Amino acid sequence: MNRRKLLSLLGASPALLAGSKLHAAKRQAAASSDGKIEALNPKGTPPPITLIPMAPRLKTLDGKTIYLVSDGFPGADHFLNQIKIWFAKHMPSVTTVYRLKAGALADDDPKLWAEIKAKGNAVIMAIGH
Amino acid sequence: MGIPTAPIVTIAFKDLAYSNAAQRGMPHERICFTPHPVWGKSDAQMYAYLEGDDPVTHKPLMPEIIGALTRPLTPDDKKSGTVTPPVGPKMFSGAPDELQDYYMNNGMTDFMPIILPTQEKVDAMLKATSHAPDEPVGKMCPAKGAYPEWSYTVRNVAVNAVMAGCDPSYFPVVLAIAASELPSLSSSTNSFATAAIVNGPIRDKLNMNCGIGAMGPFAQPNATIGRAWTLVSKNCGSCGQPGQTYLGTFGNTCNYNNLIIPENEKDSPWEPFHVQKGFKKEESVVSVFFGMDIRQGQNGPGLGIKPVPHYQEAFAFNFGTCAPLFGGLVVCDPLVAQGLVELGFKTKEPLLEWVWKNSTISVKDAKTTLFGLRFTEANAANLPDDARIPIFRNAGMVNIVVVGGETNPYHMVANMSHRGSVSIDKWT
Repeated sequence: MNRRKLLSLLGASPALLAGSKLHAAKRQAAASSDGKIEALNPKGTPPPITLIPMAPRLKTLDGKTIYLVSDGFPGADHFLNQIKIWFAKHMPSVTTVYRLKAGALADDDPKLWAEIKAKGNAVIMAIGH
Repeated sequence: MGIPTAPIVTIAFKDLAYSNAAQRGMPHERICFTPHPVWGKSDAQMYAYLEGDDPVTHKPLMPEIIGALTRPLTPDDKKSGTVTPPVGPKMFSGAPDELQDYYMNNGMTDFMPIILPTQEKVDAMLKATSHAPDEPVGKMCPAKGAYPEWSYTVRNVAVNAVMAGCDPSYFPVVLAIAASELPSLSSSTNSFATAAIVNGPIRDKLNMNCGIGAMGPFAQPNATIGRAWTLVSKNCGSCGQPGQTYLGTFGNTCNYNNLIIPENEKDSPWEPFHVQKGFKKEESVVSVFFGMDIRQGQNGPGLGIKPVPHYQEAFAFNFGTCAPLFGGLVVCDPLVAQGLVELGFKTKEPLLEWVWKNSTISVKDAKTTLFGLRFTEANAANLPDDARIPIFRNAGMVNIVVVGGETNPYHMVANMSHRGSVSIDKWT
């Protein structure tokens, strides 16, 4: 599925929004005489989405500190280590710091975020598998 | 956090990554992709990924990552505000066959025919509870913390219960399961399964099958209550959209109607499961479980060889290959339970303690098992490799339930954790 379509959905069932001959407007014609019936939508309610402006970008990575953060999925630590090696070889002015996010896979880690905000300039996060 | 971030995801999770970023308020997040998988690849292979292309943009990956952190923001990237995702109209209209196709093709079914949820049928379902149609029941998502939670009302659950083929008298059980907020469809790449143990007078009132074939397709309440769980998960919890909210590589046939286990309290020598969890015997309760799956267990040591069966050894043997990520659930026929009483286990507790202590894994194996040391004993990392530790963190992670028709002293083992018990009576 392309991203444009996914973005337009914002979490709703794609087909529900894709247009259908069974759209609500046709409900007006619902009547037992033409063999049509009405049935209820089984969907619950998604939460409203608060759009979050993205953080300002850096002009350059030269001389900056990048945190390499693993969320704990298998292989992420090794993969991030290869990124560390890549930077050392191709952009030696970049300092890289590896961290394993605390807690279970989807847990927040405010302590780490505070450390990064105080000492880092950017984050590369690797999310399995 | 206010720090530029470049998330890297493997290509298998492209749709998931995009949709999740959008649902969390950052629809233009600059996600970079590698080939799949990363796990299990050598360092050289991983480095080759970095030197290769992003499989989405087909441009060199490392410059893409650097660009994600340095490319100036666009007006869309800076947007704020609130968006309410639509879920379609309240009613659909069409000929019955058209509607069947519509519900199926729009991801609202389990791809088997449904009972069309007409207003009349939904109203009949709603009459089976004293709770108001618009009363909130709970919130659900495919994995807590990883997805936004959808909310649902008594009416939403009723629509799904109709679709599943439930008689209205089953509705309080479906509501109690929905109130547990445990989805039957997880987003994990594992193909997890769920189970629900039903206890109390409701089993007899609904004619639930606790005997021969209890967990098979042989009784309407057992079959349709479980099916309703999956439909609620799909439609009220946004679960079960392959590629976005469902990533189980194999899928699991248990997901069609889950493992519904009405305990055979009449033939069990022990106190019912819900009483163990603090409820009164006369209460009706559903207890939900989540985990790997279930399998026949009568291949363990001590069964059929020794003159006296040693069921507990068979339980421990089978749990020895379970994942520490979850607990253990023994499902045993009443004949097994009676045999265990004869062996001295007058109550469940000493049996569970024995099974927990003897279901072990070596520290070496725990270190190399997926998430092994994160879910076994906290101090295991300091023990020698050849030391053996319980595969489950504590005896409370092992549970036992009695069900079945006494056609043979058989048992099953499930690598599943108890995720909560909900009163059914509160939803009548």
